[in-house]
Amino acid sequence: MSGSHFSVKSVSKRFGGLVAVDNVTFELGRGDLVSLIGPNGAGKTTLFNILTGQLTPSEGTIHFEGQDIGRLKPNRRAELGLGRTFQISQTLTTLTVLENAMIGAFLNTNKMAAAVQVGYDALEKVGLAARAGETAGHLTLGERRRLEVARALAMKPRVLLLDEVMAGLNQTEVVRIVDLVQSLNDMGHTIIVIEHNLKVVRAFSKRVLVLDRGSLLATGTADEVLSDPRVLEAYVGKASA
Amino acid sequence: MDQIGNIITLGLLLGGTYALVSVGLNLIFGVVRIINFAQGEFLMLGMYGAYFCYAFLGVDPYLGLLLVVPALGLFGMAVYALIMKPLQNEPIMQVFASFGLLLVLQNTMLAITKGLSFSINTPLSQEVVALGPIKISVSRLIVLAASAAVALLLGAFLNRTTFGQAIRAVAQDRKAAQLMGINVQKTYMVSFGIGTALAGLAGTLLTPIYTMSPYIGGNFIMAAFAVVVLGGLGSVLGAFIGGFIVGLTEAFAGYYIDPSLKHAVLFVIFIGVLVVKPSGLFGKAGAEEVGLREQS
Amino acid sequence: MSSLNIIEMSAVTDAKSRSDSARGVRTIQHEVPILAVIIGLLGATIWLLSGNSFALSVLSITLLYAGLATAWNIIGGLGGQFSIAHSVFFALGAYVAGNLYIHWNVSPWIAIIPAAALAATVGGLVSWPVFRLRGPFFAIATMAMTEVALAIAMYAEPLTGGAQGLTVPWRSGLQNMIFLNKWANALLFLGYLALTLGVMIAIARSKLGYYLQAVRDNQDAALASGIDVLKVKLTGMAISAALTSVGGLAFMMYVRVVEPHGLLSLFDVGVKIALIALIGGLGTIYGPLLGAMLIIPLDYWLRAVIGSAVPGGGQIILGLVLILSAMFMKQGINGALKSVRSRLWRRSK
Repeated sequence: MSGSHFSVKSVSKRFGGLVAVDNVTFELGRGDLVSLIGPNGAGKTTLFNILTGQLTPSEGTIHFEGQDIGRLKPNRRAELGLGRTFQISQTLTTLTVLENAMIGAFLNTNKMAAAVQVGYDALEKVGLAARAGETAGHLTLGERRRLEVARALAMKPRVLLLDEVMAGLNQTEVVRIVDLVQSLNDMGHTIIVIEHNLKVVRAFSKRVLVLDRGSLLATGTADEVLSDPRVLEAYVGKASA
Repeated sequence: MDQIGNIITLGLLLGGTYALVSVGLNLIFGVVRIINFAQGEFLMLGMYGAYFCYAFLGVDPYLGLLLVVPALGLFGMAVYALIMKPLQNEPIMQVFASFGLLLVLQNTMLAITKGLSFSINTPLSQEVVALGPIKISVSRLIVLAASAAVALLLGAFLNRTTFGQAIRAVAQDRKAAQLMGINVQKTYMVSFGIGTALAGLAGTLLTPIYTMSPYIGGNFIMAAFAVVVLGGLGSVLGAFIGGFIVGLTEAFAGYYIDPSLKHAVLFVIFIGVLVVKPSGLFGKAGAEEVGLREQS
Repeated sequence: MSSLNIIEMSAVTDAKSRSDSARGVRTIQHEVPILAVIIGLLGATIWLLSGNSFALSVLSITLLYAGLATAWNIIGGLGGQFSIAHSVFFALGAYVAGNLYIHWNVSPWIAIIPAAALAATVGGLVSWPVFRLRGPFFAIATMAMTEVALAIAMYAEPLTGGAQGLTVPWRSGLQNMIFLNKWANALLFLGYLALTLGVMIAIARSKLGYYLQAVRDNQDAALASGIDVLKVKLTGMAISAALTSVGGLAFMMYVRVVEPHGLLSLFDVGVKIALIALIGGLGTIYGPLLGAMLIIPLDYWLRAVIGSAVPGGGQIILGLVLILSAMFMKQGINGALKSVRSRLWRRSK
């Protein structure tokens, strides 16, 4: 791993009395492909929101390529290279597929022609280029997820954060997205995903982080983590004697 | 020193008026999450309704309200069912539609009355009571008393009766309420109707005080918004107290700054509160939240 | 490289350029000829109507409101920020022009610059704190601002003439923007419309236009895409306010007598502009023009025909139009036309 990209140190987030994220520390290196897993309510999306700026941490620091980004707004972090998708699909439904991708492309250019080109290229990477002129509102859920990835890609991000990009998709669509994520990582993108589907997690992750009730329970390779009894217990509950 | 006494009294009396006018708006907003821009017109209809009872039935306006208020409640429910319900998820279209309703109601009354203005002069409307050096008009005092009574009764209704609790449940969490078997649409409709009925009540009680005009609603609607925002959306106590804040502000601004600027001062404060603390002083739901919370 | 490869390559480039139009992204170059044709047609209409003084008055006001609604559409339709305070910028334009002309003999053409600059500044300052408010609350705050402006306008007599209003002395001449001929006035407003349409096109087919739409559709997604949401809203508002004030300036020189209620009336100006944009088609380029062409003549007709028989009758009908459009025509005429067109196209396939 060539140097750390993302350095998260002792990050906590409290909402009144509720501790949503508890003293989480980890690092993300260039070219990493990490899965963040954990039972429902473990705080995974909250952690993402802290990383991308929708929330500020109660404690701890976040460094991105050496820079402290903990107090920066989401759009500033996007400018620095964080590209993210959301759990609830956030496509811009009145715009066309290509225009959605262009929104991401405009981060790096002011010219229409350049944005069209970059947007189109991003669409090609996710396999939506043929639908460029269609209204985004007409897409299926799977296609909208891919469109969001395209929009994030058009931003030419250094790190991609994908939040449950496979939720609610059928088998074929899941396979498509797994291939997409894998190929993006092969092309050199650093990726961290929140994922529930453990088969998928096993299939492509280089590393897995397990979050339970806000704290980091375990880290390691998929095999290590998924055979860790503490992890199984967190998911299933204490095994009966 | 006397002057301050006068100003405070005026402010409190005005406050009572504003509190009464705003309670209905607050209920509609807090529960149904609709901003009824036409609320002032229901007040206007209440006034004219009381007048018609007086002129054609010979009934004292204070009695006429027994007829007018339920009628406006039913009218409000019809408005909800026909216009607002279909527009549940489109807050901007609701704004347009309620403006349209405002135009229709104002101008229908204009057409009916052909631009003549009326006022009612019952014996009570001239009465004045003296409190030390300060003179207080009885009709305004009645309004103040009524607003306190309404606030108490509404509070009791919302807290003690089953339907009232259903309303509060829907206001807090629509989906959860639905899961508990509450008919949310019916609750919305009735709440809207109660809101418009309360506006009608305010209208009838204000007949001895103001001269009628189809446009009188406009005098109150912005102040009502200010009350609801200052006091806090969805809070009955907040609307009540907010009314007094607005009344006192108007009275003081009118005296110390300039009578013609008193509205301007009020609205500047209003915008300030909206910006600094959108949930108001007692509010449960803030302006920012409205955009996030869906109605369906 | 074999010749076969070269052929393949050129086939690919051909296909790529053909697919450009299939990508559905329109550029400014696409729009300019359309704009020219429309302005030309309207100009021809003015010429055709040059004998009819009344028709020209109606047309002038129609063109003015089309321009105002187009300017509003930049922040209201494209940006989704539903302002009812645009009458304030309208009034600013009128008062700045009036004051500079009356007291310092400044030609209205030159006054455009300070009027637009002032409106842009006021628009930015005043909307900056309230942009955090969503939907209807933003609308309420803008309504409150209109009330504040009305109170100030009535109060600040040296600048606005108070309730009496401002009167501009009649001195005809191009440099005074005061014209003898009715058709010249209509042409002036046509010029205003062309200006607002030009700016709308330039914005809609550019990064700012896309950013405004992203902010309108989904603020969180916009932030995550690196958009400085506040800056985009402020820019849109400033441009919209500046253009609106130019309309107010032209209006001042046309009617030559203005007073606060006429300029700042919530319904006759503030809501009407938004209604016209809504009926025509929010966020579209020519929607406001379509809306104005429907609403303004209708307004005149209603006032003349019904208003005399039934006081307020015209407004009742407008109110009903407002309710019905909100309920059934959210996409506006423009949207209705588009869906008709796409249905026909699908059938012809």
